Amino acid sequence: MHLAHLRLRDFRNYPRLDVDFIPGFHLLAGPNAQGKTNLLEAIYLLATLRSFRGVGGAQMIRHGQKGYFVGATLVGQTEQTVKMYWSIRERNLALNGQPVRKLTDYWGTVRAVVFCTEDLLLVKGPARTRRRFLDLLLAQTQPGYLPTLQRYAQALRSRNALLKQPAPDETALEGFTRELARLGAQIIQPRLDLLPRLAALAQSAYRRIAADTENLRLEYQPSVKQDMAVELAQARARERQYRLTLIGPHRDDLQLLLNDRPAGPFASEGQKRTVAIALKMAQAEYLTSLHGSPPILLIDDVMGELDRQRRAGLLPLLEEAHQARSQVFMTCTEQNWPRELGRALQGWQVHEGTLSPAA
Amino acid sequence: MSALPEPLNTLIAELGALPGIGPRSAERLALHLVQSDPQAVQRLAQSMVQARAQVQACQSCGGFTAQQPCAICQDARRDPSRVCVVERPVDILSLEKSGSYFGKYHVLGGRISPLNGVGPEDLEIQELESRLDREPIQEIILALGSDVESDATCFYLAKRLASRAVTVTRIAQGLPAGSGLDFADELTLTRAIEGRRSIR
Repeated sequence: MHLAHLRLRDFRNYPRLDVDFIPGFHLLAGPNAQGKTNLLEAIYLLATLRSFRGVGGAQMIRHGQKGYFVGATLVGQTEQTVKMYWSIRERNLALNGQPVRKLTDYWGTVRAVVFCTEDLLLVKGPARTRRRFLDLLLAQTQPGYLPTLQRYAQALRSRNALLKQPAPDETALEGFTRELARLGAQIIQPRLDLLPRLAALAQSAYRRIAADTENLRLEYQPSVKQDMAVELAQARARERQYRLTLIGPHRDDLQLLLNDRPAGPFASEGQKRTVAIALKMAQAEYLTSLHGSPPILLIDDVMGELDRQRRAGLLPLLEEAHQARSQVFMTCTEQNWPRELGRALQGWQVHEGTLSPAA
Repeated sequence: MSALPEPLNTLIAELGALPGIGPRSAERLALHLVQSDPQAVQRLAQSMVQARAQVQACQSCGGFTAQQPCAICQDARRDPSRVCVVERPVDILSLEKSGSYFGKYHVLGGRISPLNGVGPEDLEIQELESRLDREPIQEIILALGSDVESDATCFYLAKRLASRAVTVTRIAQGLPAGSGLDFADELTLTRAIEGRRSIR
């Protein structure tokens, strides 16, 4: 599957853009603040309906305008069109001319994995970022995971609201507790099932790109040991004190261990960066193995920060993308053009919200 | 400044405050009314005032009624041993349209919703319990929705009524009648599998 046409209206710094892309590598070059990353953001938005920069819809509207439009034509076995409009008052999403009623019907239309500087938060950031990483991957690959997650979040909000009351009704609390435990188990299990495969992929990716021979391990750290219902009951006294639901998949963590030591506090900056990229490569390779073809790879300036050897680690993935006629979009400033990717590159010059083929 | 006369603007604003009526519809309705036969408008206005004055909640079940107790509660042909618990009065209308239920009703007036500050004490549960004391009820059928709060409310009611000599059941959840599996979402199918029954 590849993105054959992209249309932007009032998106970030693009007043209007209509551009055709062929399968293969696309290098988006240009000085800073010209709109290179914005283009990746638009493609990522098509895949996940959110920004990888962690901002809401309002920030993606071009300054002074009412709303943005992102449209795309996707070519795989069949041709599909996506139209997306977002403004404060109105949001529309249409697939092949039909309005999308349930987001779960839309997920999977475009698959993309982004490599960006924010990935570093996977290692440095709070557990929430790592949970979101797992959840996004599961939501993209397992039908039913997203609705369960949403229902869990709702049960959690209700239960926390109840715990905030001065004297919560015990039976009412039990009702939400039961619901929470039932849904919680349906979230923890898929996460546990995913982990061995993801860990193996991340480890081999790390080996490929790291200069040294440290061992990267992924470990799921559950806040629930066995039975969530039983343990919630045991945690009641502490919950009464904190007025919060203290255990459950919303408190779990994905531990990243380098030679058995947590990467967050112990690894060097370079190692952290490598771990983050290894996780993203594992994500892309997992999606590839599941669907038979790689997702669209969006690489934002990461290459520039990496030395030759680490860059070379990405090559197998890029090679696969090439063979499956998928696409890679990579941003770079003139100086750090990755020479080893020299062949068959589509060069683009990005200049103040316009795109033109590079000479 | 609006080009329309003041009374017409007032009417548009009043109509626009009704559920499901946007500014355009409100305008169309208002323009229609001011151009209709005055008697027809009089009848409409009167029927609205009358309906509001006469339709009350039934003191026993909480359904809509113009007399106390309501026609359903009074109907001797209805099975007094069954009471169907619903969230809102309109849910009674839905069930009545199905024509498949011949027992009585009880309206809860909401569901347990901590996020909206609705607790068990805000619902008509005590009234249900006092009905259990005075009426020959053998089965309570919970006909609530399938969202998180409805599930928790059902659990709450089942627990609270557990000590009484009454069977508490909940309506089945699963596939819409006459549709195939391909149109059902994952959660519905999960519930349908959980609620399967043996055929004999």
